[in-house]
Amino acid sequence: MHNTSATATSVKLVLPSDVKLVDLVHAATEKMAEFAGFDPDESLNVGLALREAVINAIVHGNHQDPGLKVHVTLVAKKRELTARVRDEGNGFDPDSEPDPTAEENLLNTSGRGLLLMRAFVDDVKFRRCRDRGMEITLTKKLNQTQTHETSNSGS
Amino acid sequence: MKATVRQIGKVSVVDLSGKITIGEGDVLLREKVSELLEGGQQNILLNLEKVGYMDSAGIGELVACYKRAKEKDGTVKLLNPSGKVFDLLQLTKLEEVFETYKDEKEALVSY
Repeated sequence: MHNTSATATSVKLVLPSDVKLVDLVHAATEKMAEFAGFDPDESLNVGLALREAVINAIVHGNHQDPGLKVHVTLVAKKRELTARVRDEGNGFDPDSEPDPTAEENLLNTSGRGLLLMRAFVDDVKFRRCRDRGMEITLTKKLNQTQTHETSNSGS
Repeated sequence: MKATVRQIGKVSVVDLSGKITIGEGDVLLREKVSELLEGGQQNILLNLEKVGYMDSAGIGELVACYKRAKEKDGTVKLLNPSGKVFDLLQLTKLEEVFETYKDEKEALVSY
C-alpha cells in the first residue's frame, strides 16, 4: 500500500486464479472504502461489487487456470473509491449476458454478477486489453451527506 | 458459514449463519440440501436470519437448491431474509420465485 498523493491511497494485488482468494480482495476493498470515508453499509456494497468483478475475472476471464493471474488495483480518495480488476484470459462479451431478472432467466444458476456490480457502485466500465484479458473499472463516489467521518479523519 | 438442521414434523429447518459465498457457503449449502433430499426430506426451510450477505455464487446455489428440490417433488422456502440478503433477493427478483416468511410457525404450517 502507498499514498499516491496527499489525498489518495492505493493498493495493488496480484492473485492466482483461485476463488479462495475472493474473500481477501473483499476484505481489502472494505478497508479501502473505510479509508475513503464510506460507512459500513456502503463499504459492504463496494466489497460485494468487487467480489463479483474478481469472481468474473477468475471464472469467466481466466477459466480458473492457476497459471493466469488477476490484477486488482484499489484507489481510495476522499469520498471516492476506484477499483480496476484485470484478468489474463481471452476476454468475454459483457453485452452478451442475458438479463437475469427477466422471467425466463430467474431460475438460471449463474449470470447475476454484472447485475450486482452495477447495483452496488456508480459506474462499471469494461475495456478489452491490447494484449489479452479484460479490465473492469468500478467507481463509487459518496455525496457530502453520505460521508462517514472515521476516527482518524481530519487529523 | 455454518448450517445446522432441525427436524420439525415434516419440515427440515436449516439454520444458516455467516455468508453464502463462492467456494465456501455455496458448497456447504449444496451439500446440506442434497443430503436432506437424498434422505427423503422434501420440505426444506432455509433460515437466513443470521446470513450477513450472499454473492452471485451463493444466490445461484439457492436457485440450484430450489430446482433440485422441485425435481424430487419437494420445495425450498426461505425464512427471515434480512438486511443485505433481503436487498439481494429483491434486486435479483428471486422474491418472486421463493416463498418467503418472517415467522417460523407460519412457514411451518405452509407445507
